[in-house]
Amino acid sequence: MDAPVVRLDLPARPEGVGVVRQALVGVADGLALDGTVLSDAKMAVTEACTNAVVHAYEPGHDGRLEVDMFADDAALTVVVRDAGIGMQPREDGQDTHAPTAALGLGLPLIAALSDEFEVRGGPGDGTEVSMAFNYERAADPAAENPITGGPGPSGRWTLDEPDPAG
Amino acid sequence: MDARTIALDARHGDVLLVVIRGEHDIYTAPKLRDQLDEALGQRPVGLVADLSGSTFLDSSILGALLEARRQALESGVNFVVNLGEEPEAGVQRILEITGLVPVFPVVRSAGEALESARAAPADA
Repeated sequence: MDAPVVRLDLPARPEGVGVVRQALVGVADGLALDGTVLSDAKMAVTEACTNAVVHAYEPGHDGRLEVDMFADDAALTVVVRDAGIGMQPREDGQDTHAPTAALGLGLPLIAALSDEFEVRGGPGDGTEVSMAFNYERAADPAAENPITGGPGPSGRWTLDEPDPAG
Repeated sequence: MDARTIALDARHGDVLLVVIRGEHDIYTAPKLRDQLDEALGQRPVGLVADLSGSTFLDSSILGALLEARRQALESGVNFVVNLGEEPEAGVQRILEITGLVPVFPVVRSAGEALESARAAPADA
């Protein structure tokens, strides 16, 4: 892939998420991105950055949030990277650093709002979320990757079990 | 850039409104939680989360609204979200694709929101 049109490197703090969104809007200004796709991109990129801010680093340790934006003829690709400890669940099944406030809807939203996405990384390697947004869509990704389930009693989102027949 | 504000509107008698304008995400979610907690602490008959002036909100904000809804249900306070008649497309989209429109529930005008917030709770 060519060099990014924008590369951001900022502290992984809550106030940085809006800065990334503003940069995304600026990049989209120069592209043939329609309003719905831009709106979906803002949401998906926000969720990826939020995951990095909330999950990636031990409390009290300031890590970095890196964002690359690439534009080609067909799509805008945004890569959100952190050098944190990863989002893997602990052996006892508890999510490592999710505060009780976290809803757990980030990845389902990214899947529903991007035309392609990939999550890479492992424990200790950091996490990288890559999302592509097509200028012209053949279908609504939210119809292809619908969000199932609803708010559970614990306050976290509970996804429906996949249909074994489907 | 839109001003990001969260304000309590107590001009509607026994119904309180928390009015959320502009862009909101993980940065302002703690302020929204505090404002919703404060409103619920006043034990109103109903609580309206007014999103009609919201231009962006993410899952952190949905989490804050769902927590307020849970607390409201527990304490017998009617809870309703007002999206307004001309909502921002992205705000409407996150509510629709998450299936939360019937859950909150979501209404489309201030009048409907007040009426719904004043109605007797379904289990009363």
